[in-house]
Amino acid sequence: MLEEIRFVGHLIRLNLASNMEYRASFLSQIVGMIINNGIYFVFWLLFFDRFQEVRGYQIGEIYMLFAVLTLAYGLAFTFAGNAGEVAGLIAQGRLDYYLALPRPVLPHLVFSRMGQSTIGDLTFGIIAFLFTGKLDLVSIVLFVTVTLLAALIFVTFAVTVGALAFFLGNASQLTDRLLQTLLTFGLYPFGLFQGVVRLILLTLIPAAFIGAVPVQVVQLHDGGALALLAGVAALSVIVMVGVFRLGLRRYESGSAININI
Amino acid sequence: MASIVLKDLRKAFQVKRKAAGLGGSLASLGRPRYETVEAVRGISLEMESGELLAFIGPNGAGKSTTIKMLTGILHPTSGEAQVLGFVPWKQRRELAYHIGSVFGQKPQLWYHLPPIDTFDLFAHIYELDRKTYERRRDFLVEAFDIRDLLEVPVRKLSLGQRMRCEIAASLLHHPRIVFLDEPTIGLDVVAKQQLRDTIKQLHAEEQTTIFLTSHDAGDIESLCERVVVINHGQVIFDDAVKVLKRRYLRRKVIEVRFAEPTNGHLDLAGVSVIKLGRYGAKLELDTSSRPIETVIQDLMAGHSIVDINVMDPPMEEIIRAIYQRDSAFEPVAEGA
Repeated sequence: MLEEIRFVGHLIRLNLASNMEYRASFLSQIVGMIINNGIYFVFWLLFFDRFQEVRGYQIGEIYMLFAVLTLAYGLAFTFAGNAGEVAGLIAQGRLDYYLALPRPVLPHLVFSRMGQSTIGDLTFGIIAFLFTGKLDLVSIVLFVTVTLLAALIFVTFAVTVGALAFFLGNASQLTDRLLQTLLTFGLYPFGLFQGVVRLILLTLIPAAFIGAVPVQVVQLHDGGALALLAGVAALSVIVMVGVFRLGLRRYESGSAININI
Repeated sequence: MASIVLKDLRKAFQVKRKAAGLGGSLASLGRPRYETVEAVRGISLEMESGELLAFIGPNGAGKSTTIKMLTGILHPTSGEAQVLGFVPWKQRRELAYHIGSVFGQKPQLWYHLPPIDTFDLFAHIYELDRKTYERRRDFLVEAFDIRDLLEVPVRKLSLGQRMRCEIAASLLHHPRIVFLDEPTIGLDVVAKQQLRDTIKQLHAEEQTTIFLTSHDAGDIESLCERVVVINHGQVIFDDAVKVLKRRYLRRKVIEVRFAEPTNGHLDLAGVSVIKLGRYGAKLELDTSSRPIETVIQDLMAGHSIVDINVMDPPMEEIIRAIYQRDSAFEPVAEGA
């Protein structure tokens, strides 16, 4: 396990070096994403300027929601940059490289690419957390924990949906759509959703666990919610590994020419 | 001792078929039509340790599919395989520590980084200790003559330079078997020969088992002792390279360009003139009737030559000859 963590560390260092080969592109994408998130955030600031509360969420919860969600998303897709690309890699037969080497395929595959623009999300998340005012030690520890768990759920969700390409042939657009749906629903106060939608957001599209539940943990220091979040994250890992392993037997490779960026 | 044993190995794919155009796409959307394509149809063979085997065939013959099953990348539809005692698709990771692979069209080197960074990563992947890795790396750097390329981003390397680095990377962990899938694809004549010489030298020095696929007959002639030819997923020839050469690689085509115009005649014993222009000619020779060196000597003695190119018959022609044994390739009795 320790060796695998060291290996992932090596991949991340290599990715950083690779990304820095093009400095202008690297920096502009980061700045662009910070501005993009900022605009979305301003919308909520204007909203709460007129209304005090929406379904139990005040401006403090919105700060926390943005902090957890953007930092988790940033962490997930900066370091596990291939998580959202799994469907394309399968469909184009680009798993050969990972399968020919003596490392577990999933971590090797997922951490072999680093996102650039998502570093902007990551930075934005940290700044947003500074605005929450929850800067005591317990809150910081809880914030870091729930953010890491939410990042794990982002990765497992993206990989699981992407791995459907083993069965469907191509699931790139499905991955993009579902990730977008997860993100969109995660960015709203959870109290807005009722009935079937609420059920879906707690199961198939686990938006509650990347937004509302982590916010509840940090805001209320809720241990029960933290245990639930950890359980869901663990379950999502099991589902991801199961679907990927099952699919790998159906992998058909391909003759596409590919390169390691 | 056998390194590789294959018994009736088969692989079939489901391939979607659709008629041309939008109408075909709409019909396919409602009722998709699939066809089973058998890429590998019952291959059986054994390969000894230290052997250098050429596994050749035209595009789509099933070469890469076979290699992918032998390296554990693909699961077969049926049949058995053992590589160094491992079942590749069941013990992929254990096997991967002992084999190296180079896929000509699927580079392993990180594109934006210099080869040395991928070498370091591979040392980590194969869990090599620093000293062993550095000693091995330095040896391969000399063998492949890549010292000046180590710190140049891969995107700036020529295809030949990159392929030398690719093969060096695949040998870092001292594999017992190396699978080379089309390593000379796209290379010019000089780069091809340089690569062949290095592979040959390493094989002689380290006795590594090499499983080479190619559709370039020149690779097989220069490198291998044994050749297995496959077509449509089946073995159609399995024998020594010298047998293949004697039977099917006797014909050479020589393209020559002259510095001065010819007088319209070119008379060389044992050579057929396919085409003759004022400044060039295309000739055909059966090397069993006359060695190629003597033809080139005669050409150079009689003309001022600007360029000369000797070519093997294309793989498709060899396959056809194996099937048909046509008059041009009539098999010669052993020992003839």
